[in-house]
Amino acid sequence: MDKNYAIEINGLTKSFKGMYALNGLNMHVPVGAIYGFIGENGSGKSTTEKLICGLLVPDNGEIKLFGKDYSDPGVRVRVGALIENAGCFPGSSVWTNLMMQAINLGIENPNEEIERVLKIVRMEESKQIKFKSCSLGMKQRIGIAMALLGDPALLILDEPINGLDTDGMRIMREILVDITKNYGCTVLISSHILGELEKIATHYGIIRQGKMIMEISSEEMDSRCRVFISLKTKDMDQALDILKKKFNKVKEENGYLKVYDVDEVELIVGYLMRHGHVVSEIVKNKIGLEEYYIEIMSNKGGEINE
Amino acid sequence: MNKKMSISFESPSFIKRLKGMLGVDFYRLFHTPLFYIFLIIAGIIPALVSMGFSTTDPVTGQITGSTLENIWIMIAAKEPLYVVSDIAEYANMNMVFIFGGIMVSIFIGHDYKSGYVKQLFTTHAKKQDYTLSKSISCAFAIVCMCITYLIGTVVAGIFLQASFEVNVGSLIIAILSKMIMSLGWASLYTFLNIIFRRYFGISIASSFFFGTGILIIGAAAILGNSSILNIFLYGSSVYACLSSNILTLIVCIVNSVGWFIFYNIVGTYVLNKSDVY
Repeated sequence: MDKNYAIEINGLTKSFKGMYALNGLNMHVPVGAIYGFIGENGSGKSTTEKLICGLLVPDNGEIKLFGKDYSDPGVRVRVGALIENAGCFPGSSVWTNLMMQAINLGIENPNEEIERVLKIVRMEESKQIKFKSCSLGMKQRIGIAMALLGDPALLILDEPINGLDTDGMRIMREILVDITKNYGCTVLISSHILGELEKIATHYGIIRQGKMIMEISSEEMDSRCRVFISLKTKDMDQALDILKKKFNKVKEENGYLKVYDVDEVELIVGYLMRHGHVVSEIVKNKIGLEEYYIEIMSNKGGEINE
Repeated sequence: MNKKMSISFESPSFIKRLKGMLGVDFYRLFHTPLFYIFLIIAGIIPALVSMGFSTTDPVTGQITGSTLENIWIMIAAKEPLYVVSDIAEYANMNMVFIFGGIMVSIFIGHDYKSGYVKQLFTTHAKKQDYTLSKSISCAFAIVCMCITYLIGTVVAGIFLQASFEVNVGSLIIAILSKMIMSLGWASLYTFLNIIFRRYFGISIASSFFFGTGILIIGAAAILGNSSILNIFLYGSSVYACLSSNILTLIVCIVNSVGWFIFYNIVGTYVLNKSDVY
């Protein structure tokens, strides 16, 4: 067992009425990581998160949090979660809801602690508002504040940026980075908005049909995300044939010729010029997390890596 | 990233865990209108029921008295009557347990409806914390309802000019015994709400059904006024009557605590073995 894992899951299985939601899932979330948990709808992300939080009972497998069994009360009291929604009483104020959670956790100075988390999520001015009167973005932030109470060592966030506007997403992103940097918290975050996830995640886990198909650090992801150059010439068809003779992967897409795994613009420009083609437009690109994810998911052949 | 942190995990004691959970439940109880609404309902019930026994002057229409021979009948029957022959024998403080059941169902149902239960179960690995806390806090709420019911009864008795003659010792024991029974009833309702946690309507209906004691009344119709019925919550609640003695108190304590332990063990087992959200 590696004690540097905040979450370590081995062979986790969970079924609902005979249908497998998780089928031997393995997962390794390093301490201090922002772990982006990615997968299609119904792939088992929320089920995994609920199992970690003890809301569901696993059929089989092992869940360890910081090297201890997940049913250890000492560990679980240090877990903060935002699963599906904030889980607040709609008729009660933001403050009352947070106070209940502070009491639940046995926090000694609840007033100070609530002020602290409200400041982190930038909601100091909204504490007396009833929860039901809050906007979606505010509700998500209250959910984060709730999860942050009591100095959690692990935060589990299920789609926290769903439905947020651009500014809301930016605020949420800044909050999450702040939490990990300044409070030493490990974050497990599932999201469909991969562009946003890419900006903050230090590790990724890709789940498909209840199985982890890949776990990768952002550095590795970066190196795997392929570089490509897109360009335009006068005679695209002829230029495509010429490029195919020298480079392994070339294709025409959306009015551009795309040459993959080539880093040097000059090399392509010079090569085409020698063959009588003038490049009118050229851009160096890199495949993002989203494209990489789509590429992996389109490989339906089974597990890529575990 | 990957800064090695020394994270320590101190296991909270049972008392600390229970204190946290009870703290939330009592905070919720006192900071939401539900509890106060049911206190008022409990206070109004005896007034409404006793109005049914009032006599009025046919000329002036003014209330002149009551057909209730004694107002304390509103608290408990004269004898432990499991077989109910008229509403006067049934309509006493035991009705608080019916309304208490509905209150418990709404109280626990909102945990699930709002999703707050996720926070409770995420941070409390031991499910027994939940069942114990709900049973204790809801028992407290039902005891408070018994008190407002008592106040409502006294006020109604004064208003109806009914007789207050009673063996004070037996009356106190009866009231105390019924209050003690609140623990057992609250545990039953907590258990029912754990079983039917996904079905709010069924939770309320089942609490109402068991709260009426209809099963025991049915059994009593076959067995008669048998003391064996005292092993049930409704039986012991009926046993706490105006002829109570110290034995009544002991029976109620044993019964209530016994069911409290039973329902908490079974409720915890159910929570441990099933998906909670």
